[in-house]
Amino acid sequence: MNNCNCHSHSDISFHDYFSDNLYTWCTNCGNYGIHAAVKRALVAEKIEPCRTLLCFDIGCHGNGSDKIGGYRFHGLHGRVIPFACGAAIANRKIKVIAFGGDGGTLGEGINHLIAAIRGNYEVMFVLHNNLNYGLTQGQASATTKTAVKMNASPNGVTSDPINPMEFVLSLHPSFAARTFSGNIHHMTQTFQTALKHKGFAFIEVLQSCPTYNHMTPHQWYQQRVKDVEKIKNYDSRDIEKAKHIALDLEKQIVIGVLYKNSKSLPFMDRQANRLKVKTELVEEVQQFSTDKLFNAFR
Amino acid sequence: MLQIKRQVIKIAGESGQGINSIGEVVAKALKESGFYTFGYREYPSLIKGGYASHQTDFADHPLNSSSLKADVLLCFSRVSFHAYLPTLRAEGQVIHMLPQLELTETEQHLAKERAIKIAYLAADKLAQEAGGKAIMANVVMVGALWKLMGLALDPLKAVIRSEFAKKQNAIQSNIACMKKGYESKLEGLNILKINFTKTEKCKDDALLTGNHLIALGAITAGVRAYFAYPMTPSSSILSYLAQTYHQTGMLVKQIDDEISVAQMAIGAMFAGTRALVATSGGGFDLMTESVSLSGMTETPFVCILAQRPGPSTGLPTWTSASDLNLATYAGHGEFPRCVIAVSDHKSAYTIIQNAFNIAEKYQIPVIVLTDKLIAESLFQVEKLADDVAVKRHLVKDSALTALKPTYRYKITSTGISSRWLPGQSDAAYAANSDEHSADGSITEDAALSLEMYSKRLRKQKTLLEELPEPELIGPQKAQVTLIGWGSVKNTVCDALNLWNENYSKKPVNYLHYEYVYPLRLKKLKQLIRKEQSFVLIENNSFAQLGSMLTAQTGHQFADKLLKFDGRPFFVEELIEYLEKKLLS
Repeated sequence: MNNCNCHSHSDISFHDYFSDNLYTWCTNCGNYGIHAAVKRALVAEKIEPCRTLLCFDIGCHGNGSDKIGGYRFHGLHGRVIPFACGAAIANRKIKVIAFGGDGGTLGEGINHLIAAIRGNYEVMFVLHNNLNYGLTQGQASATTKTAVKMNASPNGVTSDPINPMEFVLSLHPSFAARTFSGNIHHMTQTFQTALKHKGFAFIEVLQSCPTYNHMTPHQWYQQRVKDVEKIKNYDSRDIEKAKHIALDLEKQIVIGVLYKNSKSLPFMDRQANRLKVKTELVEEVQQFSTDKLFNAFR
Repeated sequence: MLQIKRQVIKIAGESGQGINSIGEVVAKALKESGFYTFGYREYPSLIKGGYASHQTDFADHPLNSSSLKADVLLCFSRVSFHAYLPTLRAEGQVIHMLPQLELTETEQHLAKERAIKIAYLAADKLAQEAGGKAIMANVVMVGALWKLMGLALDPLKAVIRSEFAKKQNAIQSNIACMKKGYESKLEGLNILKINFTKTEKCKDDALLTGNHLIALGAITAGVRAYFAYPMTPSSSILSYLAQTYHQTGMLVKQIDDEISVAQMAIGAMFAGTRALVATSGGGFDLMTESVSLSGMTETPFVCILAQRPGPSTGLPTWTSASDLNLATYAGHGEFPRCVIAVSDHKSAYTIIQNAFNIAEKYQIPVIVLTDKLIAESLFQVEKLADDVAVKRHLVKDSALTALKPTYRYKITSTGISSRWLPGQSDAAYAANSDEHSADGSITEDAALSLEMYSKRLRKQKTLLEELPEPELIGPQKAQVTLIGWGSVKNTVCDALNLWNENYSKKPVNYLHYEYVYPLRLKKLKQLIRKEQSFVLIENNSFAQLGSMLTAQTGHQFADKLLKFDGRPFFVEELIEYLEKKLLS
């Protein structure tokens, strides 16, 4: 397989991730900050666009799939995680990042999130959690708070919400972080740590939605978020502690890397027949002889 | 009716009694004895109980189909005795190990009418006498079968030895049990008259299922990742690829649901390896949105759809060819695709290789249809069909440096645009499930959307030009031409060999469609113009291929031989149909 060597003699710059397409999001949408932070983190980690695969679910964030550089795949609603896992397995030389909203990830595709955490696929996953379905005009999602009046729930949401971090931590992930779309610096740092992680890196972004989420706007989060690094003696290897601080989504919402288990092997390192193989699956496609296998049936 | 020139042994018992293993030992030992065999399984969707059978047809010429009637029934359970007694031919014989077996009045009448002979063998007692365990009654029964067939013991002995190669301490007792069975008295039974000769030629043949052959084809094709959720009759592909993954290095993974299976494969194919998935009807239903995604993003996708009777859970362990419409029309929107149907042991191996070449060249979903009959029947194969060269149609070498993102979905006259992989060029593009422009950017512009939509659909026409015409098998001129697809080919070919040998003045031939979508029609139209008489033969009730052919040619097919009871066509059924149609 031929590989690109476009950056063999030059540094990667922010410009390399630039796209000529104009953004189509609402003014003050949290997605702008997320894109900026993703680009910054990729550049800071010296990951070239030709070796980056950004995978997008369906929703407002997905409409940004063509407004950023790198290889991109904009797939089906709720299905971005298995797509990204398949791509990541096939070629570990490519950095695979997946983005999904609270609708696709915690409603229609929640089984995929479970499978990805259990398998510890090498994917960085960003959950755009804006507490509603934006692109279909403000219906409730699995994270919308109870009793809030939404499009199609005129008397208020009747189901109880999921706390994504509480749910994810119950599955013993290898990496779980939370950050806030109003703090580009914090997001960049969190993404950088996630990019270095070997395994499934789950990052929940508390995202403002100026059009449909009036309950928890930008300022609401700003007043409540607290960096985990400011908590004395916090140990991100302690899952019980992480589970405890993840619970509060009302008074003090802790952001940062809440939990990390670097001993958990990434997916491909768990495959008995691939441990000694040095090549990637994408490099191995060629005619194989089946004579020996066939002769075993004689 | 015509003599079908084969002998048929049916091993019957309940699920969990190891009927399939016994059947395979019998088939193998018959092959080693110098016969051509074909093994057909019937079993319920149960782990224990019900009735199951493994039928081996054998002859002095290659066989790829089953007979409706058996000559010998080797019976291990009461339920299976009652279920399978009526499938015996006149003068059929039964060996069973069921003390105090009572025949119903109807059965007594049937046995008398067909002169069926029934012998009881206290196989479990004999096994213990021979120093074995009760479970070795199976081997006692097979020993007795060998005596009834009048065949030499050595080939059977060799097979038993190799079956127990890993359990050295079990070999001696099994051999002793086999001998005990062979030496036992089978009261009232007559040694089988096998009136055809053995051949040395076939002794080295392989015995394997269609799913084994499909898996081998996938390995040859350079498939490096296999994802699946277990579903009969596709599951044994997963098992076999997992059993062999240390030899092949293939990543073989059972995944939590079929939607993930399809998405992971599309992800792996997008990254640039060859990934394969297999499922059955219900699992494929879950994949259909992903089929549409493959069509839109022009990401190759290859899926094996192993058919069984539906709707819904249907008859999970039986056969059918009723998902041609599903494969052809699955997925919302309009996009090009290719549907290919495996028919026999050759195509089981080659089609999967062609499927990947087509999927990568045209950047489309390719659905490979098989069915339970192909998946789980035991074929006797001398050697594998010729390999198909791996052709990936990716941009290569220096051409990679000249790429621009807009080349990825460039409008072309064939509809095919250049494809390259993440990591290969700085001309990074977007693959978009939204309608898009040449570099994958989202568009809602009418003119641009129309252009891109039409570009994709042009690939269907380009593909059609590359596909072969259906194969006309048998004499060029015939009184009747049968038309079919999929596994019916095996029964049709075996039956027509017999037919044309015996009724050379009333020849029948067969038009076989391997590529079932899109359809090549030149050969069929020639036959229509000559006013050829046709009979459609399909394992479904809608005549699904026939309906497509009618829609595209306007020709109405008056004669249809359709079967949809979960069973395949048996040789006698086809012969009887032709006798009624052409001789009366």
